[in-house]
Amino acid sequence: MGSELALQHYLAVGAVMFAIGMIGFMTRRNLIVMFLCTELMFQGVAINLIAFSWFHNNLAGQAFVIYVLVIAAAEASLALGMIVLLFRQKSTLDADAWRELRG
Amino acid sequence: MQGLFPTPVVPAIPLADAAPVIDSLAILVLCIAGMLGTILLLPSHYHPSWRKIGGAVLMGVGLVFLALVLRHAAIVHQTDIHTAYFWIFAAISLFGAIRVVTHRRPVYSALYFVLTVFSTAGLFVLLNADFMAAALVIVYAGAILITYVFVIMLAVQSTGDSGTASQQMVDYDNRSRDPFIASAIGFAMMGVLLLVIFDRPGQLIRPVQARAAGAFEESDGSPVPPQVEGNTQELGVYLYGHQPISLELAGLLLTIAMVGAIVIARRRVISTTQAPIVTAETVVFPATPVDDNPHSIPVYGTDNPAQKAYPET
Repeated sequence: MGSELALQHYLAVGAVMFAIGMIGFMTRRNLIVMFLCTELMFQGVAINLIAFSWFHNNLAGQAFVIYVLVIAAAEASLALGMIVLLFRQKSTLDADAWRELRG
Repeated sequence: MQGLFPTPVVPAIPLADAAPVIDSLAILVLCIAGMLGTILLLPSHYHPSWRKIGGAVLMGVGLVFLALVLRHAAIVHQTDIHTAYFWIFAAISLFGAIRVVTHRRPVYSALYFVLTVFSTAGLFVLLNADFMAAALVIVYAGAILITYVFVIMLAVQSTGDSGTASQQMVDYDNRSRDPFIASAIGFAMMGVLLLVIFDRPGQLIRPVQARAAGAFEESDGSPVPPQVEGNTQELGVYLYGHQPISLELAGLLLTIAMVGAIVIARRRVISTTQAPIVTAETVVFPATPVDDNPHSIPVYGTDNPAQKAYPET
């Protein structure tokens, strides 16, 4: 590798983190860990956006990450509220417990 | 000076006047901390938690020492310290990400996610996004992860204290769902993404010009006014100057989400002895459960905070 960092390094880190988050979301059955993996996907996207902002000398990428953070916080609060409600119904955090909702 | 050292000329720091490898005060502090950690870690009659504290102190001392040596090595040998820091932060964040996904206990997943957030913040600092690094730590590690840990505490369920550690876990924490197909899909996507990213053979993309803080250009090419200093100020100028509507919408969305989360997560206690009296003061039909705590948030229709949604039984 060269002595200086290039755009591809950061994009690769973001892509790998997004893929790991996706694997975790599809694999885990605990509702809380599933939403934790969606937050991990947000992290990968944030790394990508900040890297592009650095590369293009444009602040729009960092502003976008602020909005990503806003959306992630709102989604986390609502998702955790719904997880608490679902847990009260069936006393389990298993995502497969709601299997009967499938068509 | 230039005859003593075979390395290229250091532009800023003349090596004869440079600071020693590690500052003497730092050496003293590190040695004292290491000594205390070793005393606690050596086999003794101390409580096991003391030994763990000693181990943690020792590891912290080792890491600080390593960081100081690394920084000095970068200064002397003209190595780009950003590269070393990038590899360290990237390795830590990817290791934390893998442990988030693969650890059995949800609490440890949340803790490894905190580690991932901190190393991602380090990557942001390398990318000249200081404010975003601090915002990431404050919002993610300070708020969202704390909420996750609280929900894990409220929704924990185990099969008791008998059996091995894996038998104590519930089934949905022990086994994963379709690991082969999910991993194949995930790694296929990762492979395609990496192929696309590294598509130009032998040519790595670097930023067009090196920039200092405060040298961001606007989208039409004109430079940002030079009275900003630091990333936080220029980000503030950019946000409030170019994207005020999005900023207001983000605040509105946060308020809506907060109201929604409070409304959907309250608990209702239904009194079965008598039907609730429907008056103008009480709620006709709370669409969502309400708490029976008299200090809870009052429902609409009343401005007495002690008023409950149903009559006393």
